[in-house]
Amino acid sequence: MATSARQQAAQKKITDSEFQRFRDYFYRKTGIQFEESKRYFVDKRLLERMRITGHDSFNSYFTALRFQASGEELQELINVMTVNETYFFREEYQFECLVESVLDEVYSRKKPGEEIKIWSIPSSSGEEPYSIAIYLLEKWPKLDEIDVEIVSSDIDSKVLARCHQGVYSKRSVQHLPSRILAKYFTPLPNNNYQICQDLRDSIKFTQVNLNDVAQTRRYRNFDVIFCRNLLIYFDDASRRRAADVFYDAMNSGGFIFLGHSESMSRISSLFKVRKFPKAMVYQKPLV
Amino acid sequence: MGLKKERNLDIQPVATYERQSTRDYAGLLQQLESSDPSKRRWGARDLANYPQAVDPLLGRILVETEHPVREAIFDSLQQIGGPAVVSGLIPLLRNEDAAVRNGAIEVLQAMPEDVAPHIVELLNDSDSDVRIFAIDILQQLAHPQTPQWLLSVLKDETHINVIAAAVDRLAEVGTTDMLSELKALKLRFPDESYLQFAIQTAIDRIEGA
Amino acid sequence: MKKILIVDDAVTVRMYHRQLMEALGFSVTEAVNGIEALEKSFSEHFDLYLVDVNMPKMDGYRLVQEMRKTPELQAAPVIMISTEESELDKEKAYLAGANFYIVKPAKMDELKTYAAILTGKVL
Repeated sequence: MATSARQQAAQKKITDSEFQRFRDYFYRKTGIQFEESKRYFVDKRLLERMRITGHDSFNSYFTALRFQASGEELQELINVMTVNETYFFREEYQFECLVESVLDEVYSRKKPGEEIKIWSIPSSSGEEPYSIAIYLLEKWPKLDEIDVEIVSSDIDSKVLARCHQGVYSKRSVQHLPSRILAKYFTPLPNNNYQICQDLRDSIKFTQVNLNDVAQTRRYRNFDVIFCRNLLIYFDDASRRRAADVFYDAMNSGGFIFLGHSESMSRISSLFKVRKFPKAMVYQKPLV
Repeated sequence: MGLKKERNLDIQPVATYERQSTRDYAGLLQQLESSDPSKRRWGARDLANYPQAVDPLLGRILVETEHPVREAIFDSLQQIGGPAVVSGLIPLLRNEDAAVRNGAIEVLQAMPEDVAPHIVELLNDSDSDVRIFAIDILQQLAHPQTPQWLLSVLKDETHINVIAAAVDRLAEVGTTDMLSELKALKLRFPDESYLQFAIQTAIDRIEGA
Repeated sequence: MKKILIVDDAVTVRMYHRQLMEALGFSVTEAVNGIEALEKSFSEHFDLYLVDVNMPKMDGYRLVQEMRKTPELQAAPVIMISTEESELDKEKAYLAGANFYIVKPAKMDELKTYAAILTGKVL
């Protein structure tokens, strides 16, 4: 068939029934529920994926999606349906929850001489672990009374190198109060900022592959884990395995923060749901 | 006090109890029986590397009381995979404990190729609950024959809850060749208001596509 | 408007009960299992819960037990719903902390009566 004739044959609109079928399926798999108001957003991306994967009809695309054993297309779809931008103080209410509620509870169970360990994974470009460090310094008074170790990991060593350098764009720091920016960052040419040496020394950056048990088994005794906007991109089996890694990496009573559109309800029943004033967090049950 | 500074330390050394219990097969089997649930859980996790552990793992599920240990056992069975795991999990569908049944269903859902040969048999089990669990497995199963299996339920099944479960799945994966069967089903159960609703939903979804 | 959380893993069952409850003047939110139900309960207040027994990850009994252990949810009205019609399961439901137990699918009259009793809403 000539290209233009083929393009004519390809479906151009998603019907209401198709949207409902897709929406129910996506909700079942991810917990993300698309409202009617997101119709344009969803339809556009569906048609695009159909085009890229060479399916002329929603039916054939959906069948392929639904029965693909590898789950690759679903991962792609999740990628395009979720917006993932990283910057300092992203989803700030979770950092507030950390210093206003979670750390106090963790602290209350510590004996003298014990320390608190926090794991931020993936490091991505480092905004998350550095945000945690800044929040602790600025907003958690008990930091004076106990040692806190922040470990941050990523699978990609190039990414870790960039974390060590700590150079960020204006866009990345735009949500920081100017007092914080002035205190912890040095302006560089090209509208960039470098985070101060002291903070760069305060994060232990490590390379790790979450799927490698030999590596992950050595991560133990964490009190708080941040794993935001990573698991949503994993398939069911890997997600479950990652939840296992986190469970075993934590002390009992430890806490884990997921991304705002992520939920343990599709992943694992090992954790307890805890509600604090600023955020909802998952907890490894106390023994 | 305060934030610890990076001192180029190696990652936390492995806890001593792990060094003591060997991570070879015999040692792990023993660990699976430890009185400490967290050791049992680690034993279960490490046994994922030993395909010969299928029977001991299955056996442990029946006596294990701690949820995190059971979860690790199910996950290891999923990682090992294969026909022996499927054959071993199927009897668990009849277990009294919902957590055990659900654990088995979740693993089976992830093993389309190995489960496929058993589906017809499960859909014809004498226990209607087992037939429903088979349809629960089909809910997530990534196997292209799923719609056909569900259609066979519509044709041959008599128990209304089993039919309802199958119709519910068809709202997602129903195809046009099922329309006549669905319409016939509507006529068979005129007084069942939920079933009428579910069948009509499936029909609307299929026709509206 | 009174709010209800419908907890069930089957999409058409949720849709069916949604219709019934909306006709009774409730605003409906859905969850597929006990974990999601707890999460939604922590972000908004519900006047009534319709909880299926058989769900993956956290079933109806465990959900209600968890709710009764949680101060904010201790008194939340729960109608438990299942395909089982047996004394043993009813007992389990009440022991877990459910207020009423009905057999699936809910009939309009039953839902109306129990919803009215539990929420004090004139229907």
